Amino acid sequence: MTPHRLTMTMIGCVLGSQVAWADPMTEEVSALRHDVQQLTTTVQQLTTTVQAQQQRIAQLEQSGAKPSQMASNAPTVAARQPAAASFSSAFNPEIGVVADILGQRSSSSQEGDGNDKLSVREIELVFGHPIDPYSRFDSTITFSDFENPGVEEAYITHWGLPGEIKAKLGRMRPKIGKASAVHGDVLDTVDEPLVVSEYLGKEGLFRTGLELTGFIPAPWTAVTHELTVGTMEGGVGEGGHLFGETRRRPSFYTHLKNFWDISSTTNAELGATYLVGSKDADARYEVNAVGLDATLVHFVTPANKLKWQSEAYLQDRKESFSIANDGTRTNFNKNPWGVYSLVDYRLSPRVGIGGRFDYVQPVDLTPVTKARNADTAWSGYLTLYQSEFSRWRLQFRHTDFAAGGDDNTIMAQGTVAIGVHKHQLQ
Amino acid sequence: MKRLSLIWVAGLFALAAGSRDARAAEKRLNVVATLTTFADLAKTVGGDQVSVSAVAAPQFNPHFIEPKPSDVLRVKRADLFIHAGLDLELWRGPLLDAAGNTSVMSGQPGELDLSRGITLLEVPDHPVSRAEGDIHIYGNPHYWTDPENAKIMAKTIADKFSAVDPAHAQDYQQRLQQFTARLDQKMTEWRSELAPFRGQELVGYHNEWPYLMRFAGLRMDKFLEPKPGIPPTPKQVEFIERYVTEHKIRGIAQATYYPQRAAHAIGQHTGAKIVLLCQSVGEVPEALDYMAMVDYNVRQLLGALRTEAAP
Repeated sequence: MTPHRLTMTMIGCVLGSQVAWADPMTEEVSALRHDVQQLTTTVQQLTTTVQAQQQRIAQLEQSGAKPSQMASNAPTVAARQPAAASFSSAFNPEIGVVADILGQRSSSSQEGDGNDKLSVREIELVFGHPIDPYSRFDSTITFSDFENPGVEEAYITHWGLPGEIKAKLGRMRPKIGKASAVHGDVLDTVDEPLVVSEYLGKEGLFRTGLELTGFIPAPWTAVTHELTVGTMEGGVGEGGHLFGETRRRPSFYTHLKNFWDISSTTNAELGATYLVGSKDADARYEVNAVGLDATLVHFVTPANKLKWQSEAYLQDRKESFSIANDGTRTNFNKNPWGVYSLVDYRLSPRVGIGGRFDYVQPVDLTPVTKARNADTAWSGYLTLYQSEFSRWRLQFRHTDFAAGGDDNTIMAQGTVAIGVHKHQLQ
Repeated sequence: MKRLSLIWVAGLFALAAGSRDARAAEKRLNVVATLTTFADLAKTVGGDQVSVSAVAAPQFNPHFIEPKPSDVLRVKRADLFIHAGLDLELWRGPLLDAAGNTSVMSGQPGELDLSRGITLLEVPDHPVSRAEGDIHIYGNPHYWTDPENAKIMAKTIADKFSAVDPAHAQDYQQRLQQFTARLDQKMTEWRSELAPFRGQELVGYHNEWPYLMRFAGLRMDKFLEPKPGIPPTPKQVEFIERYVTEHKIRGIAQATYYPQRAAHAIGQHTGAKIVLLCQSVGEVPEALDYMAMVDYNVRQLLGALRTEAAP
């Protein structure tokens, strides 16, 4: 190698290495800049922490309390300040609003609720807060296009009773089956299953009463057993035919829930319900009913959930007919029964589909001649989850009526929630 | 017949007394944690003196858990309930209400909020609303992904165990020291491996990695979710794809429970690698315990960072 070529090679190496160094230096500067940004953020947070602690010290000095008295509940980091900034608001109830807006097109000529129009089916104003360490109060006030404002729920939950029993007292959705026990915005479909709407009420059942719930001790852990017993004022929900309209004679119910953890992705629940009540104000209990519910949930992936749920009710009615004051005779089915079966599949975080089959024998046999034994319906639906707090659903339902005739209904539902909105675990 | 009945009754009493004695001898602190990561830390610190279980299965998004009746029963019988605090587990309130165990409710001796003592990131400095998505009002709650915070959490757990069960306080503190020493050693290794990549940027699916990014010296400011909790929209996916290309970003980080379709599409078009990270112990088979989970996350990050930058 000549001296000239050697010199050129060395210059090339130096330049090349400088080019090679350029990238790490840029990265180093970038990293340092990033570190400075992080330090700035940390200093800002620490400043907020100091301010918060100074605020607390001032409050403690004002109240005369010793710091140790407050320690257990003291916010320890600046992060808590947004919530802790207003201590007085900590005792305000949790407030939420749930709106259920429904558009419905039906081939039926009947003037049913919401037929062929867009309506606010229900606005729920939800309040709730612990009363003290042993109890909590929850209430739901409803507004609707179809009825006057009313109290759907207002009940106290009391914990810590002997035998690990939990008590609920007030107006509530009693733990009967699956669909009736949940709020409308938790349902997988736009409407209640037919067996629920025809026997218990079109929005399910909510009555004033007392309910006790406890777990049944068992030596095994694979299955959990929960027993609920309760009594409630007489009557059923709007449009229901299980019991009579009188509220004077209380009804009684019990529900046994058996829950299997089959695996971390699959679980099954089998429940049984027994109800007894009266069809009128006399002292007799003429109506007994048993219900069975079964639910299977399987997560195909964490984002894809498959749910199959079925529920059936069988009544035993000690009446075959009644004669009204005007002499009109009404015949009753002594052992009507009904069932629904629903499959729901969450295709993705945004989209879900499902279908439901309904079969329900009417309680009232008038007119005597029926086209078929029961009302039957097939429904299919598509749900779009816009976010955790808003959901859109399109549902088609075809119904064949026992009295003859059929109906095709298309329902479009929008459900939104604002504020704090918690649902009880089912 | 009468004699037979007496034998039966005596037998039942003996059985009951025997099982009671056995229970007393085996009495361990019954701990229920909301997440498997917390359960693992509790097990590490508590050893054989505690019985630990977790509510949320690790393969699910901790924000959206549906507690089951069996979870309710376990919380009902828990001596100690460990949770993330803040607004991570929105299902925690209904779970506690259903369980009705007054000794583990908020502010009671049996409650342990692990966010205490943690310096939180991304604390909102303005009034927040849902228009910003499913935003966390107290700050980002995924603090346990930074092993520095794990030391604070383990100490919080050890102190609580010591207070609730003073007879074994020395054991708890000893295990804490062992854990901290091992973690310090591992953190030095992890930092050393990550050092060459300080300041580099990744994109994420959901904003749940700021603490891990801080520990790793990396940046993550853009996400597939247009706003927290809102699934990726076509427009946002297009934006992220462009961003990844322009900034030569090497990895798209997301937890295993999010759909990977959007990240795959971006990866195919840009060459960026999908970085599947763990939020919870047990989320992948390799993440057997806390140390293994962080190690897995570091390996995943390094796997993407060591690839060639996107063209």
